[in-house]
Amino acid sequence: MPLTMAKIGEKNSIKKVGGKEEARQFLETLGFIPGTQVTIVTRIGGNVIVNIKDSRVAISREMAAEIIV
Amino acid sequence: MPITIALAGNPNSGKTTLFNALTGSNQFVGNWPGVTVEKKEGRLKGNRDVIVADLPGIYSLSPYSLEEVIARNYLIDEHPDVILNIIDGTNLERNLFLTTQLTELGIPVVLAINMMDVVKKNGDKINTSQLAKELGCQVIEISALKGTGIMEAAKAAVDTAGNVKTIPRHGFSGTVEHTLAHIEEAALHDLSEERRRWYSIKLFERDEKIIAKLKLGQEQVQHIEDSIKSCETEFDNDSESIVTSERYAYIESIIKGCVKIKNKGSLSASDKIDRIVTNRWLAFPIFALVMFIVYFVSVTTVGTFVTDWANDGVFGEGWHLTGGSAYEEAAGNFEIERLKVEVYLTAAREAGLNAEAVAETLESEEPDEAVVDAFIADASAAPVAAQLDVTDEEGNLEETLSVSATDFKTALTAEEPDPADFGVWVPGVPVIVGRFLEAINCAEWLQGLILDGIIAGVGAVLGFVPQMLILFIFLAFLESCGYMARIAFIMDRIFRRFGLSGKSFIPILIGTGCGVPGIMASRTIESERDRRMTVITTTFIPCGAKLPIIALISGALFNGAWWVAPSSYFVGMAAIVCSGIILKKTKLFAGDVSPFVMELPAYHMPTAGNILRSMWERGWSFIKKAGTIILLATILVWFTSGFGWADGSFGMVDMSDSILARLGSLIAPLFAPLGWGNWRAAVAAVTGLVAKENVVGTFGILYGFAEVSEDGIEVWSELSAAFTGLAAFSFLVFNLLCAPCFAAIGAIKREMNNAGWFFIAIAYQCVIAYVVSLCIYQLGLFFSAGNFGIGTVAGFLSLAGFLFLLLRPELKGQPLKTGGAFGINA
Repeated sequence: MPLTMAKIGEKNSIKKVGGKEEARQFLETLGFIPGTQVTIVTRIGGNVIVNIKDSRVAISREMAAEIIV
Repeated sequence: MPITIALAGNPNSGKTTLFNALTGSNQFVGNWPGVTVEKKEGRLKGNRDVIVADLPGIYSLSPYSLEEVIARNYLIDEHPDVILNIIDGTNLERNLFLTTQLTELGIPVVLAINMMDVVKKNGDKINTSQLAKELGCQVIEISALKGTGIMEAAKAAVDTAGNVKTIPRHGFSGTVEHTLAHIEEAALHDLSEERRRWYSIKLFERDEKIIAKLKLGQEQVQHIEDSIKSCETEFDNDSESIVTSERYAYIESIIKGCVKIKNKGSLSASDKIDRIVTNRWLAFPIFALVMFIVYFVSVTTVGTFVTDWANDGVFGEGWHLTGGSAYEEAAGNFEIERLKVEVYLTAAREAGLNAEAVAETLESEEPDEAVVDAFIADASAAPVAAQLDVTDEEGNLEETLSVSATDFKTALTAEEPDPADFGVWVPGVPVIVGRFLEAINCAEWLQGLILDGIIAGVGAVLGFVPQMLILFIFLAFLESCGYMARIAFIMDRIFRRFGLSGKSFIPILIGTGCGVPGIMASRTIESERDRRMTVITTTFIPCGAKLPIIALISGALFNGAWWVAPSSYFVGMAAIVCSGIILKKTKLFAGDVSPFVMELPAYHMPTAGNILRSMWERGWSFIKKAGTIILLATILVWFTSGFGWADGSFGMVDMSDSILARLGSLIAPLFAPLGWGNWRAAVAAVTGLVAKENVVGTFGILYGFAEVSEDGIEVWSELSAAFTGLAAFSFLVFNLLCAPCFAAIGAIKREMNNAGWFFIAIAYQCVIAYVVSLCIYQLGLFFSAGNFGIGTVAGFLSLAGFLFLLLRPELKGQPLKTGGAFGINA
């Protein structure tokens, strides 16, 4: 399922990162690669803050929808 | 031999704090070649032969963002002697991703693991010697905030430079290594051995900038491409993703042996704060509260106090260091005595006495005592008694004094207190300079230039500095504690709807204080498109200097109606929203808004030193501007408004004969369709370009008042005769929206860093101001009075054009480049 549908506080493993080339590369740089654990901290209007590799990353809804967990 | 240390690290890793700690005040700021990104260098404390270069905060050495390209070009081309890689110890995995790339460059690397105090407090353990062995470079534990381990890190870097080679210990899986070896053989055999590794990986990733840099032939590229393709087929992934995944897999493998996390999986303090602060329900109320506090302190209470001090004190008559309240009291008492005289004279007139003679002699320099005594004798014989209502500042009645002839006599003897007699009185800059100029018998025109031109003009601008500094303290605090990044996140959903990013909100917010730092704050937006749009629209929001114009128009034409000031903010906000929508539909800005991805720093308490430094850096760049462009502009306006042709010769003239007035009459017809085609209004609008609050002062001078108060109450009657309500509102809107003051125009020029974009920004602002004012005046005239003329047609056409631009479908443009380093500390 896309990351947008994940529950707050629930640990999920990333399966695939889609979307446009450059945004995807940037997400991968930040550690969004298959197999990594990701947790949603909060959600506001579809935008999410996630915890990944001990850092917090804010992602807009469009981008979060491309991350499959 | 001087040694250069390049300081590299992720955004939010504490790099700036470390840089400041290493160099102290020995810093020089410049620009990286050809771009507006700031380049900071400094000399190491205690060892002036060592230069520390602060690279932009980056996550990787990919070619996708300006910061990354700057950093890697510097590292490849300038080849610093050593890289000091600062790493956030609480976020080791992600930070080491950059490290794996830095160690491939063939430059010695020293690792400084920052925030070790936090790591220890959390009960986590990092085995640094093991980590050093794994990575093949020296590792030092530091805390940049607390200042521990910093000089050890610098010493390690200096010792390493030139002595130790850093050889990357990490490898990729067999197939990738095989391909890399193939690439090295095919294209890189000319390079020195230690550099081949990095180039071969970049070629594997098909990095176009590197391919261009190496000037590879078509044949070579094709040859490499074949082996990359076969590797990609094996992994079923593209080459860049393969490298990224392999790097993270490697980091994960070494981290297991080096790091022990105590409370794995539990929420960190930052996450707990985020649960509340960015909560769906609480985010906006908390945000509103924070903004209210910032605004309340820096714009109204403390802000007003320091601005008054700077404008009326330092750049006015003078101010009290001590004894201010004693003077206020004495001045208040004197005012009561003066009023007593006034009411008594009125009462005497009402009682049928002739008070004209005495009133006249009291006005004169030396009152005729005989006349006064005669009046007092008459008045006490009548007898005349008067009442004086004493009110406090809010106009509430405090007490009623009865005034008799004796009181009147005493009141006459009251002397106006001299502020210099109370406590320590510091005269204002104009007073001191004026005295000095008089003492040296300076020519009158030069005195005028210095006092009325330079000091008045530059002083008006510098008067805002203390208030801005207070605002900057708040902003620096919000920025370094981590909340600013959350504001951008919270506002993003809303701003996205009209083509701006959440990060655009911060410049607009600062713009309510002053447009110059507002425009400068747009730098934290990495998408070029969003940044340009923000720079263009930020000054639509009324800044502090536009408030006097609002007060003038609302007082003179609308009896101080409550809705004038809020409507100005509304017009400003509407202009931003509409501009966002209009601009994103033009070819210049077409395309998708770049997706919002931003790392949020952990919340932490910033140090006072860092906040003050950031405040000063911003404040200073504003002060510098006041000393250059504003200085020139004020001299120009002073000259054109004081000189001109009168009686056939050129010289000092009244303002109505000045060059400025002639120019005003020349351009005035341009503003006739907006309802204010008289030369005074045109000149006032032009002088508003120097500083917006000049508009009020100019009206004062043009209507023959030497000095007017901030809201220009003296010229209200003249203005209400010269303007209709509609014309005045159109004048107000024009001044709010048109090109900002010189200081802000200068800031726009600098941030755009491109003559074409600068011109587009200024032209757009002027055109939209003209169109909106035209619509307001002409349509208002049509609907209120039924006037119909060529202006009405123009008004309706403009409105139609405006609505068309606003509502037309979006252009399908090329997808835009996304930003790269999405950190907030640029």
